This record gives sequence, structure tokens and C-alpha cells, in this order.
Amino acid sequence: MSALEARNLHKRFGGLEVISNLNLTVPPGQRRAVIGPNGAGKTTFINLVTGWLSPTSGNVLVDGHAVAGRPEKVTRSGIARSFQRNMLLEDLTVVENLRVACQAFHPCRRVFWRSKRAFATVIEKAERAAERMHLTDILEVPAKHLSYGQKRQLEVALALCAEPKILLMDEPAAGTSPQERARLIDLINGLPRDITILLVEHDMDVVFATCDLITVLSYGKVLATGTRREIQDDPTVMEAYLGHRHAGD
Amino acid sequence: MSDEVTIARTSTTTREAITLATEVRRATLVLAASAIVGALALPWLSASYATTLAIEIMIAGIFASGINLLVGATGLVSLGQGMFLGLGGYGIGIGTTVLGLPLWLSVPGTLVVVAIMAAGIGAVCTRTRGVEFLLITLAFSQMFFGSAIKLRLTNGSDGMSGIPRPDLTFLGLNGDNPVVFYYYVLVVTVVAVAAMWRIVESPFGSVLAAIRESERRASAMGYAVSSYKVGAFIIAAVTCAVAGILQSQYTYFINPDSMSWQLSGEGVLMVIIGGTTTVVGPLVGAAVFVLAKQGLSILTTEYMMFFGIFFMLVVAFFRNGVVEALKSALWSKP
Repeated sequence: MSALEARNLHKRFGGLEVISNLNLTVPPGQRRAVIGPNGAGKTTFINLVTGWLSPTSGNVLVDGHAVAGRPEKVTRSGIARSFQRNMLLEDLTVVENLRVACQAFHPCRRVFWRSKRAFATVIEKAERAAERMHLTDILEVPAKHLSYGQKRQLEVALALCAEPKILLMDEPAAGTSPQERARLIDLINGLPRDITILLVEHDMDVVFATCDLITVLSYGKVLATGTRREIQDDPTVMEAYLGHRHAGD
Repeated sequence: MSDEVTIARTSTTTREAITLATEVRRATLVLAASAIVGALALPWLSASYATTLAIEIMIAGIFASGINLLVGATGLVSLGQGMFLGLGGYGIGIGTTVLGLPLWLSVPGTLVVVAIMAAGIGAVCTRTRGVEFLLITLAFSQMFFGSAIKLRLTNGSDGMSGIPRPDLTFLGLNGDNPVVFYYYVLVVTVVAVAAMWRIVESPFGSVLAAIRESERRASAMGYAVSSYKVGAFIIAAVTCAVAGILQSQYTYFINPDSMSWQLSGEGVLMVIIGGTTTVVGPLVGAAVFVLAKQGLSILTTEYMMFFGIFFMLVVAFFRNGVVEALKSALWSKP
């Protein structure tokens, strides 16, 4: 059974069809890159999978079942995402960002009569998450004071706190330095192999270093799916990225 | 600059931040302790006028604390918390004078009814945010204000009188004595502020902070955001109702004015003056508000105009409220 499947997926915004008859299957544990020119519908696809948008028609299936409606339910069912634009708890410290993210899966999350410091397991989990993302030295720094690259790292770290079965990352490498990209590659490759990953990314070094298979989207459709070599040699992909005339040269 | 230097520098900053935080915490405890000692000694130190003002400040402070759970902790600006202040007062008014129930039943009964009503109202209001939230809470409070004026049960615009103060004869005390009533309000205030502090520092409170910072992120983390917002709405309503109960006991009286939008607005002003980032902020804001209003009204009959100017100055010079300004003045490096 596939971990993630899109079946005849359509998403229309008024007259604009952003996703048009998209079919995609990702088997469990696979690392799949989704690439494509701007406006191809990559982020819309992630939004459809994670409950931020509902499809005009068609289905998104996870482990063979339709995804649970609202974003928080999707997260609780084991599907986490990072955002293309940082969405952090800006006034809170790095460790508090991570602690709140970890707390979402602890029964203490509704407790209002005890101090949050009383739940050591949640704090320890947050500190481990920080360690994994190389954020240990800046635990007490408010998120708003982080560098852009550090914010990107925290963005991914927050998604990982959900300990997801399926992780969707929306351009995690955008705007990061070469060192930060190298760390990101190590991080993705270091994640347990049973986590299915769907990576939307423009940086091809990151894509090639982390993903098994690449799907190319264009105008909301799957243009091609294949390995690095297959995609690089595919004339339709060249055409989508470079235009008809250049592709023919 | 090498990576090691950067890391060393950041960890020094972190360590400094932690030391500073410990220092601030220690100083806060000292200040809180001296405030409580001062409050305990007040009736012996000063004239009855000061005791009266202190009672008003504390009641306003509890009201503002309730508002701050929405404004400061959750990021929802409500302009309708006066309805819960009024419901608190009317609740014990109806309980004691109409139904003839004892106070020890009327008070918890009122709080339970307010909590249930807040759950319903909150479920509707928290579907919105920003200006829409402000307007819908205002609309609800105007509805209650209108009902209180029209209803015969609550004696219309004349209001209800004869609301009893607590019977403390079992302690050998008379609740009608201003000093005794002062201590009663003081105890409730300390409990209310401590409870608010606990809530803000709790796991639930940290979810509210997450919602304030980014509602979308809180959802993405897996929190059912709307139920937390309704939870905050209920706690805020009950806190405001406690203030309403004390207010009606203080004046032995409740009328529709306590549900007016002006009163809700004054509560928000107190929160802004004191600052939203601490639990004592609203209490300090209430003190500044009540004292400034009293002081100016002694000097001039046109005090509202000067009060407006005063409020503008406070907002202009203390961006994050008086408490944050004091904190940074005390701990800023020379």
C-alpha cells in the first residue's frame, strides 16, 4: 500500500485550475522530491495533503484512507509539514518553540493548573530536537532574533517534533547558506528510513543528495516521475523549465 | 569570524539571558512580597480614603487580569468583557435578592452559569479574530446591556440594590466594615492574580502564547486552536465575573452601566497602560488608571480631557506598558 496517494486531484481557485487531475503515489519510506517551475502547484499540493486546502474534486489518501479534514487532525494522524515562509512563534525562545511543538502530543497539553516546567519529558524532547538541528547554543534566544538560516532550521525542527510518519517539506533550503544546506542534507539522510518524505525544493543539490525519485509538476499535472538521470534526459521536462525553443536546441 | 567564536559568543549571551531571567524572577518575588506586606498594612497606615481607592484598584485589577488573558496571553482584543462583569454582579443579585439563596450558593452558582454562557458566546466569538472579534464581543455585550435595561427581573435601568457582602461572623468579623471588606477583596485579588500567573505559565497557557504568535503554526503543530481559544474565553469571563461580584458587593448595588462598552474599553485601557506581558501588568494598569482619574478629578472638573492626554503620553513613552518600562529601567546596563 502507498503511504501517500493523490487520485484525480483537482483544485480550482475561481477560474484558475492550480491542480488539474494530479495522480501521484509515494510508497512508504520513499524520499520523493517534487520539483517544477513557479506556479506549478507544488505548495498547493502540500496544502491539499495537510488539510490547509480542500480539493475541488479527487482524493488524497494516506495509508489508503482519506486524510483527516483539518490541519491539526492531519498533524495528529502523523503527517507533518514545514512551511515555505517561516512560521515561527517569534516572541518565544527557540526551546519554547520546540517545547510547545513537542507538548502537542503529550497529555499535559490541556493542563492549566500546573507549571509547564513540571513536565520534564516534554522539555527533554524539545532539547533533543534542538540538538538534532544544531540549535543547542541558541536555546534561550527568541526566534525573532535568529538569522534567516537558523529560522529555516527551526522551521524544519518544529515539523519533526510531531515525530511524523510522513514529512512534507516546502523549500527547506530556500535562502540558506551552503553550510546550512549541507547540514540539512545530513539531517534528512539521518532521519529514520521508515519516514516517508516529500520534498518540494528548487535547490537541485539538496534534491539529488536526499531523494530516491523525482516528480516534476507543471501547470498542476505530473509531467514526469523518475530518477535523476531519467528526469535530466526527459525532453518534456526541459521544455517545461526552459521553454519550447530552448528545449529543441 | 569562525564558527567557534560565534557559538562561544551566543552561549555567553544565552548565559547572560538566563542570569538576567533569574535576577528578574528574584526581584519580582521581592516586589510581590513587599506589595503584599504593604497591602496588608495599608488600613493601619492611611486614611479610609486610601483603603477605598485600594479596593477600587483591586477590583479593576481583577477585571483587567481577565481581559489580559485574552489580549495579552492569547492575542484576542475583546471589547465586551463588561458583560461578564455585569453578569457576575447580576448573578449574585438575582441569586440573593430574587431567589433568596445564601451567598455561599449564589457565588459559585453565578460563576458556573457565567462559565456555561461564556462557552456558548466564546464558541461563536472565537471563530473570528482581530477587529471582527472585537466587534462581535462588543455586539454580545450590548445585547446583554440592552436586556439588563429592559428586564423587569433585574429592575431595568434602576438596577438591583441590597446585594449582600460576605457574612464573616463565624470569624468574628463584620463584612460591612470597610477594613474587613478591604481584606476580603485583597485575599480574592491575590488568589486571582496567582491563579492567572499559574495559567499563563502552564502547558495550556503556552498553547495560548503559540496561538497569539501564530495561529497557523499552532494548528500545524496539532493543536485544536478553537477549543483552546474557547477555554481562554471561559477563564477570562469567570475572572471578570469575580470582579463583578466584588464590585456589586462593594456598592451593594448593580445596574446596567456595569455592562456598558465604556467599562469594557476602560478595562482594555488598563491592560495597555500596565502592559500585556506580565500578570501584574493589568493590576498596575488598574492602579495607574484609578489614581490618575481620581487625581485629575480633584484638580479639574474637565478631567476626562486631561485623562485622554495622560493616556496618550503613557502609550507614547511606555510602548509595552508601565511594567515593562520599569523592568527595562531597572535592568538596563549603564
